Amino acid sequence: MIEFYHVYKQYVKSQFALSDVSFSIEKGEFLFLTGASGAGKTTLLKLIFKEELPGKGQILIDSENTNLIPQKKLFKLRRKLGIVFQDFKLLNNRTIYENIAVPLLVRGIRRPTIDSSVNDALALVGLTHRKHYIPAHVSGGEQQRVAIARAIVANPKILLADEPTGNLDTELSIEIFKLFERINANGITVLIATHDDHLMQLFPRRVLKLDKGKLISH
Amino acid sequence: MNLIKSTFTNAFKNIFRNKLINFLSFGIIAFTLLIFGIFNYLTYSLDVFIGDFSRNIEAIFYLKDDARQPEIENLITELEENLLVKKVTFKSKNQAEIDFSRRFPELEYALSEFKDSPSPFPASLEVTFRQENNIDIKISTLIKEVEKLSIIEGKEVNLDWAKQVTNIKKFISVVGFFLSLILIFISSFIIFNVIKLNIFFRKDEINIFRLVGAQDWYIRFPFIIEGALLGFVGSVVAGILLFAALKLFPAYAAFMFNIVKGMIDFEDIPFNIFIRLILLGTGIGLVSSFLSLRQHLKPSND
Ligand SMILES: Nc1ncnc2c1ncn2[C@@H]1O[C@H](COP(=O)(O)OP(=O)(O)OP(=O)(O)O)[C@@H](O)[C@H]1O
Ligand SMILES: [Mg+2]
Repeated sequence: MIEFYHVYKQYVKSQFALSDVSFSIEKGEFLFLTGASGAGKTTLLKLIFKEELPGKGQILIDSENTNLIPQKKLFKLRRKLGIVFQDFKLLNNRTIYENIAVPLLVRGIRRPTIDSSVNDALALVGLTHRKHYIPAHVSGGEQQRVAIARAIVANPKILLADEPTGNLDTELSIEIFKLFERINANGITVLIATHDDHLMQLFPRRVLKLDKGKLISH
Repeated sequence: MNLIKSTFTNAFKNIFRNKLINFLSFGIIAFTLLIFGIFNYLTYSLDVFIGDFSRNIEAIFYLKDDARQPEIENLITELEENLLVKKVTFKSKNQAEIDFSRRFPELEYALSEFKDSPSPFPASLEVTFRQENNIDIKISTLIKEVEKLSIIEGKEVNLDWAKQVTNIKKFISVVGFFLSLILIFISSFIIFNVIKLNIFFRKDEINIFRLVGAQDWYIRFPFIIEGALLGFVGSVVAGILLFAALKLFPAYAAFMFNIVKGMIDFEDIPFNIFIRLILLGTGIGLVSSFLSLRQHLKPSND
């Protein structure tokens, strides 16, 4: 489902954010991406949804080489993915409900369908009572759960989550991981970037470990 | 359908979100189009005027009060036999007075002051010339010859009039054209920058939309609609103002300057002008927002 072949990424000269990274993730897998701060986790995820381009190497998503996807077709790749961004990327000129509806809106889905999907997603992350708030008026943990709801609302093939529990306490983090497990049980491939060792022990799964841009275990 | 509906709603919302900028631009666009409309109307009505005037070349020869009947009749026959002449009509002093009061009933009171004295209007010969051939020069020569006759007091030829009005019209069209051009440029510039600002304001939103799978057109469309809407609403406002101006100005002028109302009534305002206004306004909006998008909304990966 996700394949990296000798992928290099450089933001500045003489420093590789990713260096010769190769791995392969099967459809329906649930795995973690870990490593110290600055190891390159976010960079690796950005390469998957083509917000960044690799300096060298090939990336295949659902058997499609991302290097060969033209600008006009990029939306097709993005629609296969649900992404929880490290910085959430929520819109404060919209309510939480509207934020979660955005991926469905841009797909041209009809209102009644949007309504039921958004309400389901809200219930899954336990935010039904906050749906008319704007993101700026709820806690960091609640914003994080809005980001998660938006990532899963459109039934992606692959869920990418960048530190999805960074702002949550252990109890809520476990709830969220259980939610990811349930999503994964529906056949969705789940890749979670985290450096929470405790959680990874509670959910023993395959781990991709980055160190200074190099993949040291996979 | 849902997609298009939500796009339109968003465009509306955005116009109201940036109230000040947008209403300022509405104002300038409306003003531009109003100027365009006024010049359009002026050239149109002058065209109608010239058309009425120069369908035939006509000359009116005013006769001296002491001109004798046989002399007049001689001249009429002579003119009627001339190949250049189509028709000769004699208008007596009385007839002239009746015609005048029929045309300007408001001025009846002025005439009544002359009631006891002889009519103030001279008798005249109205001559209509044939215009099949290009014989303006021959007609001019004939008119000059007739004018020299001793029984003729003076003359009026519509040819001169038509030429003058044509010149005025040309001048107005040129001024109108360049003024419109400048104003259209200013309007485009404003819409271009309003869209640029809106793109800037919504940068994060655009980025998020792209990340969650929005197509390019879904992101561009609201801005295009916004530009078109700015132009459209501006032109509708301009149309209403133009209509009001053309309807109210004659009444105002009549009231303020004691001018006979009928003389400056704008009879029919051609519907065409409004269509042109709206097309132009919407067009300016569409094109400028399109150009602005091309300039300021580059595909992602930047
Ligand atoms: N846009 C950028 N321009 C320049 N350097 C960058 C950019 N983004 C990331 N980097 C650098 O690339 C390296 C990897 O960054 P990345 O954000 O992928 O790390 P990370 O593993 O996600 O860290 P964290 O756990 O803190 O989120 C870091 O050294 C970072 O400074
Ligand atoms: Mg990161």
